Amino acid sequence: MTMKITVVNTAAGGSIRMELEPYEKISDIIDAAADYWGEGAGAFVIRKGPKLLVGSRTVEEVNLSDGDTVEMIPDPEGGS
Amino acid sequence: MRADASDSDRFDRMRRIGWLDMDRISRSRCMVAGAGALGNEAVKCMVLAGFRNIDVVDMDRVAGSNLSRCVMFRGEDEGRFKSEVLARRATELYPDADVRPINSRVQDLTDWDYDLVLGCLDNFSARMHVNSHAVYRGIPYVDGATDGMTGRIQAVLPGGPCLQCASNGSHARVADLRFSCTGDAHVFVPRTAAEITTTSVIAAIQVREAEKMASGRTDLCSRGITYYNGEVGTMDTVDLDADPDCPNHMGD
Repeated sequence: MTMKITVVNTAAGGSIRMELEPYEKISDIIDAAADYWGEGAGAFVIRKGPKLLVGSRTVEEVNLSDGDTVEMIPDPEGGS
Repeated sequence: MRADASDSDRFDRMRRIGWLDMDRISRSRCMVAGAGALGNEAVKCMVLAGFRNIDVVDMDRVAGSNLSRCVMFRGEDEGRFKSEVLARRATELYPDADVRPINSRVQDLTDWDYDLVLGCLDNFSARMHVNSHAVYRGIPYVDGATDGMTGRIQAVLPGGPCLQCASNGSHARVADLRFSCTGDAHVFVPRTAAEITTTSVIAAIQVREAEKMASGRTDLCSRGITYYNGEVGTMDTVDLDADPDCPNHMGD
């Protein structure tokens, strides 16, 4: 069943609503959101509350449900 | 005024922290991968905390732009191998320490006989490489990374989620962007924002996790990923499960 979630961009601010199917993966959410915000050059992760959602898992497997809000956060890549 | 015995013991104040095992810390064989900003801060904290047996791995040389973040480097060190300068200055801080420089890419290491590994690297590919070796060999690993005023720390324990478990396609794309191998082992890494206070915070927490590991108190280690945002002054640890599709956990 299709669900709608809100993705909050913690780095740039703002949020988007996204329509998802249960079989779609967390990495698909990251790709779509990063593409929307033009953040293609960075690494990101998605968290829901106190939990980081594993990229290879599906929306259904991580128990996302209609009306949920998740946060997309930049994942620092190095320490130069 | 008279100093008593406790003031002549270098580690007296640390011994007052019940769970710290100074004997195990001093005997732990450690590798610090990366002798840049994070590596400088981490090794500084490690020798001050009583770690005595440390290999420092880095292929790079000191540059002028390092001097705003690297406590062990001086202007006169420009052009010298980072690992050699860092090892020498760390030994000045704690003469009983045996800090050995390895002028090499971490990808070229063959000896992984360590009790714990700290990742202080400047790119995702190298971090994933160290993570994979550590997980495969059951070596506790503390990964650190920064970007300007933000940073992250992840303590990877045998059997637990690893760096790869927390990655996705966006990390792979970054890794591809950051590396342009010409066949001469040339590595292209675009300059990223970096700042010393963020570096200090992240490296200090890495070493604290290392103290727990070395003391045999992995039960105290952070089980998720700690994100620090120095711009707004927040620090938050998110939980993470092992990814059943992670190649590092296929045999678990």
